[in-house]
Amino acid sequence: MSGTLVEGSSAHRTYRIVTWALFVALAVLVPFWAVQTPSFSIGSSTFTFSLSNLSHGVSYMVAVLGLGLLIGYNGQISLGNSFFMGLGAYITASLVVDNEWPYLLTLLVVIPFTFLVGMLVGIPALRIRGLYLALVTLGLAAVFPALVRHDQVSERTGGANGKRISSDLDAPSWLPLESIAETLAKIPLVGEWAFGEGRLGGREEGAIWVYLLLAAIAGIAFWLTRNLIYSRPGRSIIAIRDNETGAAVSGVNLSVTKTLTFGMSAALGGVAGTMYAMAVQFVAPDVFGVNLAIFLVVGLVVGGVGTLSGAVVGGLVIVFVPLWASQVESVPGVPERFLRGPTGSFFLGVLLIVLTFVLPGGVVYGARRLRSRLVRVQPSRGTAVPDDVIDVQEAAAEGLLSRHDPSRVSGL
Amino acid sequence: MELFLARLFDGISSGATYAAIAVALVLIYKATTLINFAQGELAMLGTFVTYVIAVEQGLPVVVSLVLAMVATAVLAAVTERALIRPFDPSNHLPLVIITLGLFLLINALAGMIWGYDPRRFPGIFPADDLYTFGIARLRWYTVGTLVTVVVLLLLLSLLLRKTKIGLAFRAVSSNLESAGLVGVRAGPTLQFGWALAAAVGTLAGVLFVSDPVRQLDPNFAQRVLIFASAAAVLGGLDSLWGALAGGLALGLVESIVVGYVEWIPSQFGLATAVFVLIAVLIIRPEGLFGSKRVERV
Repeated sequence: MSGTLVEGSSAHRTYRIVTWALFVALAVLVPFWAVQTPSFSIGSSTFTFSLSNLSHGVSYMVAVLGLGLLIGYNGQISLGNSFFMGLGAYITASLVVDNEWPYLLTLLVVIPFTFLVGMLVGIPALRIRGLYLALVTLGLAAVFPALVRHDQVSERTGGANGKRISSDLDAPSWLPLESIAETLAKIPLVGEWAFGEGRLGGREEGAIWVYLLLAAIAGIAFWLTRNLIYSRPGRSIIAIRDNETGAAVSGVNLSVTKTLTFGMSAALGGVAGTMYAMAVQFVAPDVFGVNLAIFLVVGLVVGGVGTLSGAVVGGLVIVFVPLWASQVESVPGVPERFLRGPTGSFFLGVLLIVLTFVLPGGVVYGARRLRSRLVRVQPSRGTAVPDDVIDVQEAAAEGLLSRHDPSRVSGL
Repeated sequence: MELFLARLFDGISSGATYAAIAVALVLIYKATTLINFAQGELAMLGTFVTYVIAVEQGLPVVVSLVLAMVATAVLAAVTERALIRPFDPSNHLPLVIITLGLFLLINALAGMIWGYDPRRFPGIFPADDLYTFGIARLRWYTVGTLVTVVVLLLLLSLLLRKTKIGLAFRAVSSNLESAGLVGVRAGPTLQFGWALAAAVGTLAGVLFVSDPVRQLDPNFAQRVLIFASAAAVLGGLDSLWGALAGGLALGLVESIVVGYVEWIPSQFGLATAVFVLIAVLIIRPEGLFGSKRVERV
């Protein structure tokens, strides 16, 4: 049963509004479910799904988004977004603890600062390309823990021990979280099963508030990035990825566009860092090292290189795959002490390799292919719909990880 | 003066090990213009295999090292065939992603199997000093490492210049398509390059942890990889002897510059390596001894 919708028709519009409304409703309602830390068991292992992990994942979504802007849309292979995320997290931690700023206000420092540092890194990136850029930015990611451990800043950063942020985010009194939870619990049939008894303590309310704040910031970040990609500068960004010479010939200023993209990607990383500080309320040097840099790449590839929505999946994967891997109690044939090791990194590494082979477009392309069996959107003729352009762009993006590039002409 | 000598010797010995890993990177880069981000982790794995054979099975260290080199070479050959060859060599992104995946996977696997407690590695050189100048000790380790790396480079140059497989390797690295046209089979040749690089990497890892002041744990290679890639880029990514020069330069920068320049704190060794890397790539991207790449627009 596959329906066909004509692009721009009212049915298509309704379809889009309904799918978006469902997504927003899900995003808003999910904390009321997750706040009770639901769990499911397979064999002797119990896997949990807690709200704090979810908030943590939302912060990674924005970091993956920033990385995706640079790698997926601009074609600059940079691995250094963990550096900018760390920068943002530490600035927020320091301002909140030492200067008693409110969390959100720190964004006013974090965004310009990481943007500028990103531009500074982006300037050498004009000459350093491809693999070399990947190498340099991986080095940057490796250096970050040593930077915050350094004696001259360790008073503000907490040195090797990390820095705990004691300031709590309490839900404002005007937000009727408690009564929403009660109402949800009263929904017949599914209410009590999904939302428990609907009673919230102060800590639960705080956790839901943090999640809603982070989701709102993430929503704004995604919305702005989407607008950027669909705009004229966005087309320049993508043109550089697809053919640098062609872009330059068409009047795209390569160095300005590339440097600005680097800055914006870094700023998104910085915002993700602030979000991380809000979600976890603790920053430590080794969190923002090489492993995180690679985790972000895993998130990007799992979600889909060259997509925006892939970052949502990617952020969740970075948090929940390691979490659930660490909760595995026993696997037949595997010694138990192996399971106490870094199984999460192991699975993410395997996932990265397997997905590059099996589903190079990531989860988002897999989902789109499934969806296209149910609903087919037919472009209307004669109207220049920007989505059309983007579809072509995304088809090109799907080829970013392909094993053989059919369009490549052998350079003889 | 004695302090300077001590730092010089330190710089030479760590520089020689960076050079050895850099040689492994160069071998793969020459063949495929690919930087293998998992090279350090492969070396770490080989070092652990050496450790297991030598300490737990009780074989002599040198024999264990040879066995581990063979084992990692086989592993790398299989990896190249299964994970690298399916991809178009001119498209860097998937190859970067695959090698990063290997990095994560091998590092985690070693952590799961052997844990993170540092282990003392039985050195392959005598632990005492060859000669002492006051506090400056010229250790057997320093001389042994340098000599081993130089001998390794001589052997590799001979291999590449005098043997048939070496000729094929040079043909493939010079021009993949032309080599194919004259009947060189690119796949097995590149596979040979990967195997060779892994064996060299294992040797380098063992040299690195043979220093009595160092210990073996699954994370030691991350730092070494950054130094080694800076060394390889400094020397010119396609030059074997350049890797030695770059490695020694990096080792000396780490011990002498960081040792003498007051405002560079000692934790910043890694940062100086990254700085060297960036500076070389901006000022002279082909490195000291590398061949210049001309880009066709």
